Amino acid sequence: MSVTPQLRQTGQTEAGDGQRLLVEARNLQKKFKSYHAVRGVSFTCYAGEVFGLLGPNGAGKTTTIRMLTTILRPTAGTARIAGHDVTRDPEAVRRSIGVLPENAGVYGRLSGREAIRYAGRLYGLGGPGLEQRIVEIADALELTTHLDRLTDTYSKGMKQKVNVARALIHNPPVVFLDEPTSGLDVFSARSVRDFVLRFKAEGRCVVLSTHMMEEAERLCDRVAIIAGGRIRAEGDLAALKAETGKDLEEIFMTMVGQSIVT
Amino acid sequence: MMRVAWAWMRGAGGDRAAQSRSHETGAWIRAVYWKETLEAFRDKRSLLVLVVLPALIMPVVTLGIPYLEQRQAHMIRTTTPEVAVQGDAPNLIHLAYTSKLITPVHTADVNKALKERRVLAVLELPPKFESLVARDVQPHVGVLYDASNPESVAARARVVDLISRYSQTVVARRLIARRINPKDLLPVVLDERNVATQRQLSGLLLASLLPFFIAMWAVVGGMSLAVDEAAGEKERGTLESLLVTPPSREGIVVGKFLSVLTASVGAVVVVVVAMMVSLRWGYPYVLHTSEKLDVSLPVGTAIVMLGVAVLFAALMSAVQLAMSIYSKSPREAQQFITPLYFITVLPALAVQYITEWQGLTWAYVLPVLNTFFGFRELLLGTTNWGHLVLASVSSAFYAALAVELAIVLMSRESVIFRT
Repeated sequence: MSVTPQLRQTGQTEAGDGQRLLVEARNLQKKFKSYHAVRGVSFTCYAGEVFGLLGPNGAGKTTTIRMLTTILRPTAGTARIAGHDVTRDPEAVRRSIGVLPENAGVYGRLSGREAIRYAGRLYGLGGPGLEQRIVEIADALELTTHLDRLTDTYSKGMKQKVNVARALIHNPPVVFLDEPTSGLDVFSARSVRDFVLRFKAEGRCVVLSTHMMEEAERLCDRVAIIAGGRIRAEGDLAALKAETGKDLEEIFMTMVGQSIVT
Repeated sequence: MMRVAWAWMRGAGGDRAAQSRSHETGAWIRAVYWKETLEAFRDKRSLLVLVVLPALIMPVVTLGIPYLEQRQAHMIRTTTPEVAVQGDAPNLIHLAYTSKLITPVHTADVNKALKERRVLAVLELPPKFESLVARDVQPHVGVLYDASNPESVAARARVVDLISRYSQTVVARRLIARRINPKDLLPVVLDERNVATQRQLSGLLLASLLPFFIAMWAVVGGMSLAVDEAAGEKERGTLESLLVTPPSREGIVVGKFLSVLTASVGAVVVVVVAMMVSLRWGYPYVLHTSEKLDVSLPVGTAIVMLGVAVLFAALMSAVQLAMSIYSKSPREAQQFITPLYFITVLPALAVQYITEWQGLTWAYVLPVLNTFFGFRELLLGTTNWGHLVLASVSSAFYAALAVELAIVLMSRESVIFRT
């Protein structure tokens, strides 16, 4: 198999085409007692780019995202988000990111507006500016008519939209989405995917974790296939397919299959 | 907790960076506090535990149980119990009827009758009882009763009283026959007077009730919030979304702690108010003897008690929150917190039976027990301010330690992702 990781040089802040480097992971490792969940993951992601972390369940995608979003402390390696080190300046990192964790829930006894307002206050927003932002974001997510209902009464898709709104309330340059369409119906999943493309168009850097190849092909500019805590392949999606002559699912199956054998 | 307090103190000092930091921490705490409190107000279970239950239970406990107790005592006092008499004693039987102490009955199988509660006691007289008495022989009489039946115990007391009165008439007759005045056997007459004031009697009643209910509701009042705000967030999948926002773990935990404390103190206030209303205005209507007892809590005492109760509730709230943070699920949190309820309520009950510890300085630094010794002094009007300060400072210290523990737990990956 000729697919090899094609990492850009770490430490550079702009790609050759002038894109701003926003996510930079260098040899990230995470060990839970005797279990090595992530064994040296490195990748970069730039403004206006959707980067896909592809892998089967238990591959280390969520652990990697949790390290990048400061919830877990790396056992070894470093990462910088929007120029801030995840271990030395976690608070600055958290101000720069919007996160939609896997299986994220909602506060059922708050209305959609209150839940989004709460997130805004946690980011230090307030007053008329915050209210205006809530209206804008709800409008963009087609939540306006339901905004004052308790979220307990929302459908799963609407709950996910509230979580997207919470993650974006402070207009972050970097967005982490961990299995964002998991468990959603076709319409809700479509809506979330449209949003990912919108984030990209807005110039945000999106790190998307998924195990759905079709979704990755549709949304991602670059991907990393991760299995057994290691990146098995990484690069431009179109280049990967051209180089191997296979579609993404076949590349994925080959890489993951190799990782099981090795 | 201590770090947050230090940040605020530095902020108040004038350093601009510290001021900005403290302002930010304050904003985070307020945001978390208001969100948690708003959710709690919308939770019917919380309102049930915080308001409805205390308002309903306290009148029942403070008035209902004493009423039933008094009703039974009144029934026993006014009813003449039926007692089987074995043997012949016309004078004794006559005294039984005239004094109305017992109603003598004849029955064949006395043991069976006592067992079946057809009679409440049995008086066993020896053959020729009154002849023996007349000949100055000291006859033995027996009384059978059922100690497991309060009515039978009361009937026994009536029999003892009857025999005592019968003995007194015999003694008086014998003394007169020997030309001796019966009063010569009673050279001293004792007059008793109770010097306890209404305030002290009221304090004694409150000291036996209030600490127990304050202990109970300080735990129960904050329990559902503590469980929901940490273990509940884990289960709902909202904790991770919260932890990726800028607030420090201190800001998040202190905000949650304050909302649990609000519920706990709120429940304590509702319980105390419901109890005082029941005692002050309900007692005279429900209980016959209570007209003489003016149950009241002076405003000054109430304020100091509230201060001590807030510190105690702070300790309970912080411990419950720490347990909830550590728990994998709300169910596990409930399992951890339930023993805390017993650990708290038992000292509140025990404190009235270990009065010899009251006044010992070290007793006022023991967690939980210090609060109840303080309450007892306040309610009995024997306040020692040194003891109260010691109890308050030590409670505040333990509460701060528990909040610190909660922050440490909230910062540990192995706890946040404990499965």
